[in-house]
Amino acid sequence: MRDELTLRLQLECTLFFEANPYTLESVQGLALRLGRRPDHLETILGRLVELAILERLGEGQRAIYRYIQPAVAADSDLEWARP
Amino acid sequence: MNLVSSGIDGFDDILNGGIPRGSTVIVEGAPGTGKTTLGMQFLYNGAVREGEAGLYITFEELPEQLYRDMAAFGWELKRLEKENRLRVLCMSPGLLLEQMTEPGGLFEQLLKEIGCRRVVIDSISLYRYDAGERENLRQTLYGLRTVLRKHRLTSLLLREETEQSGGEPPFENYLFDGVVRLALRPHMGKFRMRTLEVLKMRGRPICEGEHAYRILDEGIHVVPARSMLEDVALLKQSDQVATGIGRLDQLFGGGVPRGTVLLVDTNSKANYKYLVGAIVASHLHQGDKLLAMLSSFNTPGDNERLLALYGISMADKAAARDVWYIEQYDRHYPEAVQPQVLDASCLDNEAYRSWQREKLFPILKEGLEQGRRWFLYYDLNTIFAERGRDYVLKTLPSETAMARSYGMTVMLLCNFSEIGEETSSFLERTSNAVVRTWVDGAYQFAQVTKSPTGKISEPLLVENVAAYPFIRLV
Repeated sequence: MRDELTLRLQLECTLFFEANPYTLESVQGLALRLGRRPDHLETILGRLVELAILERLGEGQRAIYRYIQPAVAADSDLEWARP
Repeated sequence: MNLVSSGIDGFDDILNGGIPRGSTVIVEGAPGTGKTTLGMQFLYNGAVREGEAGLYITFEELPEQLYRDMAAFGWELKRLEKENRLRVLCMSPGLLLEQMTEPGGLFEQLLKEIGCRRVVIDSISLYRYDAGERENLRQTLYGLRTVLRKHRLTSLLLREETEQSGGEPPFENYLFDGVVRLALRPHMGKFRMRTLEVLKMRGRPICEGEHAYRILDEGIHVVPARSMLEDVALLKQSDQVATGIGRLDQLFGGGVPRGTVLLVDTNSKANYKYLVGAIVASHLHQGDKLLAMLSSFNTPGDNERLLALYGISMADKAAARDVWYIEQYDRHYPEAVQPQVLDASCLDNEAYRSWQREKLFPILKEGLEQGRRWFLYYDLNTIFAERGRDYVLKTLPSETAMARSYGMTVMLLCNFSEIGEETSSFLERTSNAVVRTWVDGAYQFAQVTKSPTGKISEPLLVENVAAYPFIRLV
């Protein structure tokens, strides 16, 4: 697969999990939800696991992927110090 | 019984309190009936109002769509997820089953993580495609029910409409604890009405029939059938006399409110004597004075026996001058009662009006001056037969208005089928409460079609019972 296509699928998967953070799916299930081919997704999901974006539970065809939510503070209030 | 509030306005009333905790309930309906909204409302209000965390499992619809759709009702699902009060889980049906049965699997981990008490699965129809054979499907759904029950999760299982009209109900209806059906019915030609019906709920008495619901800004709102506006002003100022007929008292908000006009419509086959007996007796037991006009079919002897059945001696009441009878037919009354009989036979209408003013009203006035209350029991059929329809239409409004103004309770007996639709609706308008009773086939029915509480009933079966009040409405 070309780099450009790989990056596109990586982004697509990441955005999908970001929007649906409590998804638990196999490669087959994700392929169905994303409208992609399972053999294309397999490599991409492996890469996202390496990047600690996803967690893989189980092995082979029975492996399930789930999102690791980034530990960032989304709602912080900033206050400028007065001179 | 430990009940869970559904979080849906009006729905708990239909379930007489709520869903039994730990029940697995199917919610079925065609597309657009609001199954998803109902499911999410159950979880959202469960978390917000009851402090019970919930899990929404979607097989097809993506959570991001649900977050968007539910925001229209002001439900911030993501906030609840952040607070560990909700999870919108997206997975395939097979995977859910696999994880549910896995010891310490993801399903159990998730329940523990949020302290989950409620679950919605959207939708179990997907298992029909997954399981293939009917037997496999039964086992799959049986397994699902077992796990949900084991964890004591109150669960709604959404299902696409399956049953064809007149067809056999799907086996899930036997397997699960409850079945609720949402439907869109044609209404007044060009409109559609949303209806909710509880077909089954183990361990709960339910309000049968279809109940209308609307999807409002704040979610689903069910209006239990046979609800009308209650006459708050009337109920506030009057006390009630319990008849002992449980269902009737319940519909009247405790009993027949004093100072009201109650109309009993009965067809020729129906036996109304216990209904009338219980109501008359309850007022006499409460110390009311009785002024009665008996029907041509009900002799004074019958009346004496009926009152005796309810523990009232007609002779004693007559001796205390607590009962009076207006007699239109010159019939014979028991010796002890004769001084209390007011003979109105052989009087034409004009003479009858004068007789009422000169003879009757002073008796009523005297009772009121003694601080006593009056209960008036009038057989309207007799007045129709003896004095004519025009007389009734002309005099009844002023007579009932006068009675009400003095706090008297009036019970009118009538046969609607004999007097025609126009006169019937006039009488219904004049009355505060209407009870109809009729015989259909092998059963007698009774129905409250108007009441000061605004509650009206479905046709209830009339059953004789051995003990007081000798009648039960089922």
